[in-house]
Amino acid sequence: MAIIETADLRKVFRSVKRRPGVGGAIAALFSREYEEKAAVDGITMSLEAGELVGYLGPNGAGKSTTIKMLTGILVPTSGSISVADLVPHRQRLENAQNIGVVFGQRSQLYWDLPLRESFALLRSIYDVPRERFRENLDHFIEILDLDEFMDTPVRQLSLGERMRGDFAAAMLHDPKIVYLDEPTIGLDVVAKEAIREFITQLNRERGTTIILTTHDLADIERLARRVILIDDGTIIFDGPISRLREEYGTHRTLVITLADSYEDVQVEGADLESREGNVVRLRFDRRRTSAEALIRRAMERYALSDIAIVEPDIDSIVRRIYREGYTEGAIGSPS
Amino acid sequence: MKRLKAMARAYREYWRINVLTTLEYRENFLMWFAFTIVYHGTALGALWVVLTAFPSMNGWTFRDMAFLYGLWMLAHAVNNTFFSEIGNIPDHVHEGEFDRLLVRPLDTLFQLIATPGQTFPDELILAVSYFAAATWYSGVHVGVLFLIFVPLIALGGALIDLGINLIVGTLAFWFVRVDALQWIVAQLEQEFTRYPVSIYSRSVRLLLTFAFPFAFMNYYPAAFFLNKPENALALPPAVGLLTPLIGLAFVSVAYAFWRFGLNRYQGVGH
Ligand SMILES: Nc1ncnc2c1ncn2[C@@H]1O[C@H](COP(=O)(O)OP(=O)(O)OP(=O)(O)O)[C@@H](O)[C@H]1O
Ligand SMILES: [Mg+2]
Repeated sequence: MAIIETADLRKVFRSVKRRPGVGGAIAALFSREYEEKAAVDGITMSLEAGELVGYLGPNGAGKSTTIKMLTGILVPTSGSISVADLVPHRQRLENAQNIGVVFGQRSQLYWDLPLRESFALLRSIYDVPRERFRENLDHFIEILDLDEFMDTPVRQLSLGERMRGDFAAAMLHDPKIVYLDEPTIGLDVVAKEAIREFITQLNRERGTTIILTTHDLADIERLARRVILIDDGTIIFDGPISRLREEYGTHRTLVITLADSYEDVQVEGADLESREGNVVRLRFDRRRTSAEALIRRAMERYALSDIAIVEPDIDSIVRRIYREGYTEGAIGSPS
Repeated sequence: MKRLKAMARAYREYWRINVLTTLEYRENFLMWFAFTIVYHGTALGALWVVLTAFPSMNGWTFRDMAFLYGLWMLAHAVNNTFFSEIGNIPDHVHEGEFDRLLVRPLDTLFQLIATPGQTFPDELILAVSYFAAATWYSGVHVGVLFLIFVPLIALGGALIDLGINLIVGTLAFWFVRVDALQWIVAQLEQEFTRYPVSIYSRSVRLLLTFAFPFAFMNYYPAAFFLNKPENALALPPAVGLLTPLIGLAFVSVAYAFWRFGLNRYQGVGH
């Protein structure tokens, strides 16, 4: 049974068409022209309970707009949505009880008050039983390390601290479904790691269904098994990351560590990517050369102390798709 | 029922936070308090100046007008204390803060009303004190009817205020910025509640009674309690006691408009 389902979902924004300059602005006072833009243009998707899906796309692709419709913030222009058997924009209150939302760009904490007070307020907003609230709070304080700043006004917290507070705030009522819109934006490596760990646990231990948008593909690589890629409001890829890799990651890298010192390292079927001392990186097209053959050839010519195959990282794959567009069944000519 | 209980609890919690926030900024709070006193003092001073030139206006003396003003001040203070956040709807929409309210399991308007806006019952305390003094000064008979109805009238009047603010605020879903309109409405409200409505032309009286029922905030109830022989539209004096009902009806209309506007909410682009 799917927990989230959309069919041909669309959202068209209508805004006043602007003409440049003061003259244009004055003209617009008298005759208004409207401009329509389909931010989300026919999205059909289905998520099972307990999935953790990365929702990717370049700026302006329609990710946030989709999430706003799933959460019930925006009313779709057409198409249908069902989230845990509810229609979010019609059954807004019931739906709200089921979901947790973190917008990386915007906090839900009260600026002038310590985290503790915001949490207490959220307890009554979501009507969380006192026992359950205690348990959750203790748990989150521990894994998110909130202890030191529970009593500091939120405005005095660093971005990373505030973000951890925001995560706890969104999860206190045990949401079945969690939407994360760029939750790691602006965070340093350590804070990112803490958040990722938290997301993993949430998904694994509580079985929470999670949709995550991000521009940091390390998030996706680390967290999601399935990605949905959108561009211009339509889905261009939906499937496991491994498939994205297979179809797009045509090049892999063989990393060899030389046991002796050799002047010029060359292996037939691969290009030299880089060399640092004894560590040599060789790039090869997996459709033309098998890793096994390549390793054999390398071992015939050189004495090796270590070998490793590196899969293409998702970052370079996605960058390539943004740049070149997606075509079913991978890219034509190996280059 | 369960939901109502949850709402009541949330409301109490919101207010706790409200007070905490206000106390965070003590100096700011004291400055607002001083301003409120100066503001109402100036308004009454102006009234007194006008009335020393004309000892009465359509049969209303300064004593009557002091009571009229007190009734408005009471309703207005109730509005400002409990419903002030409604006036900030355009800001919430403009900044995208509104999204947050829509993903919580409580009615959006309820959340707005309850939102900590650094409110403190200072204005209300001032209004109640002034009203008590004005009542004594005007010589209104304080009986059971008075004691029962005055709080209801203050509440009804506040609902009229709320309704107007809600209608104007809802327009922000279409136009985003409505601060000019908010300012105009606030000025008109002050203008039309300060003097007896009977001094205006008939069309204005009709407007203030049936379209934007400001006259029910203070004029009709004051005319009733002061035993004025006639009111602006020759209605029976007892219409002055209808304010709570008028307030409820008006706010219902405003709420329907609000619900309609809510579906048009487009948010901001991030
Ligand atoms: N309230 C709005 N009014 C008008 N246009 C909007 C509004 N919100 C979004 N848009 C437009 O819709 C498109 C999709 O926006 P959206 O915020 O969904 O993109 P996104 O995929 O989240 O991008 P990003 O990665 O930059 O966050 C953009 O072109 C944006 O300009
Ligand atoms: Mg976005």
